Amino acid sequence: MLIVAIAGMWLAAAAAGAGLPPALPGQAGANAMLAEGLNPHPVHLVRPPVEPLSAMAELGRRVFFDPSLSSSGRMSCASCHSPANHYGPPGNLPVMLGGPTLSRQGVRAVPSLMYLERQPNFSVGPDDETNETVTLTQMAAVGQDAARTQKTALDTAQTAANLVPQGGLFWDGRTDTLQDQALFPLLSPFEMDGGSVNRVASRLRHAPYASLFVQLFGASVFDSPRMAVAEALFAVARYQIENPSFHPYTSKYDFWLEGKARLTPTELRGYELFNDPKKADCGGCHLDQPTADGLPPLFTDHQFEALGVPRNTALSINRDPAYFDLGICGPFRTDMRTETQYCGLFGTPTLRNVATRQVFFHNGVYHSLQQVMDFYNFRDTDPGKIYPRDAEGTVVKANDIPARYRTNLDTTDPPFDRKLGETPAMSAQDEQDIIAFLKTLTDGFEQREKY
Amino acid sequence: MTRHEILSTALGAIALAASTWQPHPATAATTGATAPASLTGPGPQDTAPTATPIKHLVIIFNENVSLDHYFATYPSATNPPGEPAFTAAPGTPKIDNLVTANLLTNNPNFTNPANGADAAEPFRLDRTQANTADQNHAYTAEQQAYDGGKADLFPKFTGKGTPGGVGAFGTKGQVMGYFDGNTVGAMWQYAQHFALSDNAYTDTYGPSTPGALEVVSGQTNGMRIVQTTKKPSTLANVSYYISDGQQGWTMINDVDPGYDTCSIPTDQAMMQGRNIGDLLNAGGITWGGFMGGFNLSVTNANGTKGCSRSTYSQIVGAKIVDYIPHHDWFQYYQSTANPTHARPSSLQAIGYSFESDGKTADPANHEYGLRDFYNAVKAGNFPAVSYIKMPAYQDGHAGYSDPLDEQMGNTVLVNFLEQQPDWSSTAIIITWDDSDGWYDHRFARTTNPSFDAQADQLDGPGKCSSGTPLAGVNGKPVNGRCGPGTRIPFLVISPWVKANSVSHDQISQASVVRFIEDNWLHGARLGGGSFDATAGSIMSMFDFTSGGHTPPLYVDPTTGTPVARPPASN
Repeated sequence: MLIVAIAGMWLAAAAAGAGLPPALPGQAGANAMLAEGLNPHPVHLVRPPVEPLSAMAELGRRVFFDPSLSSSGRMSCASCHSPANHYGPPGNLPVMLGGPTLSRQGVRAVPSLMYLERQPNFSVGPDDETNETVTLTQMAAVGQDAARTQKTALDTAQTAANLVPQGGLFWDGRTDTLQDQALFPLLSPFEMDGGSVNRVASRLRHAPYASLFVQLFGASVFDSPRMAVAEALFAVARYQIENPSFHPYTSKYDFWLEGKARLTPTELRGYELFNDPKKADCGGCHLDQPTADGLPPLFTDHQFEALGVPRNTALSINRDPAYFDLGICGPFRTDMRTETQYCGLFGTPTLRNVATRQVFFHNGVYHSLQQVMDFYNFRDTDPGKIYPRDAEGTVVKANDIPARYRTNLDTTDPPFDRKLGETPAMSAQDEQDIIAFLKTLTDGFEQREKY
Repeated sequence: MTRHEILSTALGAIALAASTWQPHPATAATTGATAPASLTGPGPQDTAPTATPIKHLVIIFNENVSLDHYFATYPSATNPPGEPAFTAAPGTPKIDNLVTANLLTNNPNFTNPANGADAAEPFRLDRTQANTADQNHAYTAEQQAYDGGKADLFPKFTGKGTPGGVGAFGTKGQVMGYFDGNTVGAMWQYAQHFALSDNAYTDTYGPSTPGALEVVSGQTNGMRIVQTTKKPSTLANVSYYISDGQQGWTMINDVDPGYDTCSIPTDQAMMQGRNIGDLLNAGGITWGGFMGGFNLSVTNANGTKGCSRSTYSQIVGAKIVDYIPHHDWFQYYQSTANPTHARPSSLQAIGYSFESDGKTADPANHEYGLRDFYNAVKAGNFPAVSYIKMPAYQDGHAGYSDPLDEQMGNTVLVNFLEQQPDWSSTAIIITWDDSDGWYDHRFARTTNPSFDAQADQLDGPGKCSSGTPLAGVNGKPVNGRCGPGTRIPFLVISPWVKANSVSHDQISQASVVRFIEDNWLHGARLGGGSFDATAGSIMSMFDFTSGGHTPPLYVDPTTGTPVARPPASN
């Protein structure tokens, strides 16, 4: 049963043009291959081109690792976006510490910088690159009235009708380019605390790699601090685009897609649960299939969701009961404050390398995949396991979203369509199997066997 | 589903209130050449008398580049390590750019305080910054940027645009950015081996569709609304048309062509008046418009089809729809439209009005896909006049295309044509539809004034120059065609051009129309207010008395550098 379901899925994917396998095995042959842990319909994945770093990217590498740009002199981009930790946070602190003495707590968990090379710009509703007239505000206005359809792992296409926010960088999508993204942590008083653009430009001017600036941008580059910083941050972005370690696509799952690795029975079972709308339905948002252009799956649909994870009392900023991090509608993002239908929505991250993270969701409330799976499983069926109780002893569901915005909570996409007291979507064994599958998404899988 | 379609659903009720659908008009040429039954023997393109040795003209119409954006420091490139280098050939002439005008520093766009925090000096865009943000290039914003000819308010008025992809470069004052020969290497190579004009302009200010109309009809007056949700353009609410002051409309910004299967349903327009296709048909000359993505019967390698055919660009980092209706020149005129994207009856019918029986109108009506052009030329059916539009990801438009993808599309086509037996009688024009709003320092004295109270702002509110506007489609002075507009690159590649030459004669997009008329049609003019009557001539870029010997130049599509052996044919 399980084997047939997966085989059917891959027949569909292969037919969609993801690269036809040399010979399509029949259903019986497919089942036999799956029983061996092999993908019966291997595809060709198109990975980003790998070339020597350009002079621009080489400059970006120097800036990325330069702690002298921070007020503490001890923090660089790489401190939080640690190369040894898939460009995510290096430990299990919910948020990182920064500022002049590296003692100020941040406010959101550090997202990974990996797999952003195809991140679309922020938009509401499906984007159209050639459109020169429709503004974000117009789309958001349409989105206020639009009905929302259910999104499942087997039918993600129907969400095209959903006018949901998507794309952009940060948990709230507030910038579109890696260059613009890099400026925020550089200047944030609780992160690198770089001071001002002028201050950063002055530090760049005296950096050991200052000659690279002159070589690329001419001797007058430091005459305009704003331009010098823009070029420096573009160089960082270029480093992220060119350096293959930001987007290697070398997980066991990638090789399995290509027919070059075997999944264990547990992993395969987890994979099916991942995509089963009656079970976890992870694949509804964390897309696991290559694009029609043969690009490897990114394990995100780039959309925003209000999941309602519990408030994290470990964050000092949360000691203020009036403070709420509302994602798209503030406080860090300022252009969508009146679009209250998006309060509490945060971006869906990639699941690649998720098994190596120790901090999950925007407020870093969870520290293991087990906790994350339990959240999805019990949020609606047994919320007492997830949320605290108020003074009257009532469980306060979605307690990190103000009551007036809790209607924004996603209650349509499985497994969030279940009701109080219903059977949870996953058994304890199901959760373990899915976690086993998630571990196949970690890059650097070494192919030991010949296939 | 596109944003357009979503909005159209939401705005459908408004649209219906504004106007009503008109019946689909019959579209077929009533005159024109009859296709041969087979491709043996010479066609009319070979036998038709021409004023020059040029028997085949190919116009590659790219998107959104000002001359200074591509040629600000020509012929001197930075040549950083690791990038394809450009070194000027001895004797390469200087052109009017930011170097010779001494505007790389103390630029008025930096010193004019009205630009506020966006004020900036011109700066080099690196090859790694090929994927840039798109700038504002609306009719009114460009006039404001030119600021009565001082060209000092670009950051303030055209320096706002879409962000570009996640890896794109963007900065305040980015509108002042320019590429050099390390990025637009092929264009620099073509300039120094063939002929470049440093004095070519759009006929009016404004974006793509006005430019597309001007290069085939020489003007933008006589717009007919098919479907609209918009009111005439104002400073506060920009739209694609204004009153011409004579009970008609002039198109000033982008709108999709009427009835095209791929157009957004809620906003569509058609044009009155004639275009060069009408004259070519009357003269029995073969011609075609060839656009990437136009052929809806093809399925792309990624499985996309119909109006949604798309291609993934590694440089932009996104999948881009191939066919953009508001770039389709001939689709705006009933006599040259192919709204259903019907396919030609045969390969030998490409370029012809009628099938070989001499009676049946060919369904394609001179509008084809880009692949049709390659196939027809390869088969020996090389039309006299061919307008080419690359698939969108290769058209050069910042935001969804870029100079490197543009270079790929352009060089593959030029390399291909240089290897054809008819190369000795071929000329290729590479030019652009508008400037994208990118800074250019040179202002052309306004020859066609306009006085729309809202849309015209060049010389103050309601003012574009002084005097009386030139006559429009109905012979009376009309508003909405303030111009010439922005300066654009204009290259001619042919054995007949003067090698490594620069022409300073002022020309415009309508000069393309004029050349066709002068070469094939005994100097006939379109009339109806077309600027073909007043546009400059490109003849000085050629040497038709002792020329014909400028050698072909094969260019590597990726690096933009010359290669000795012709690359494999596409």
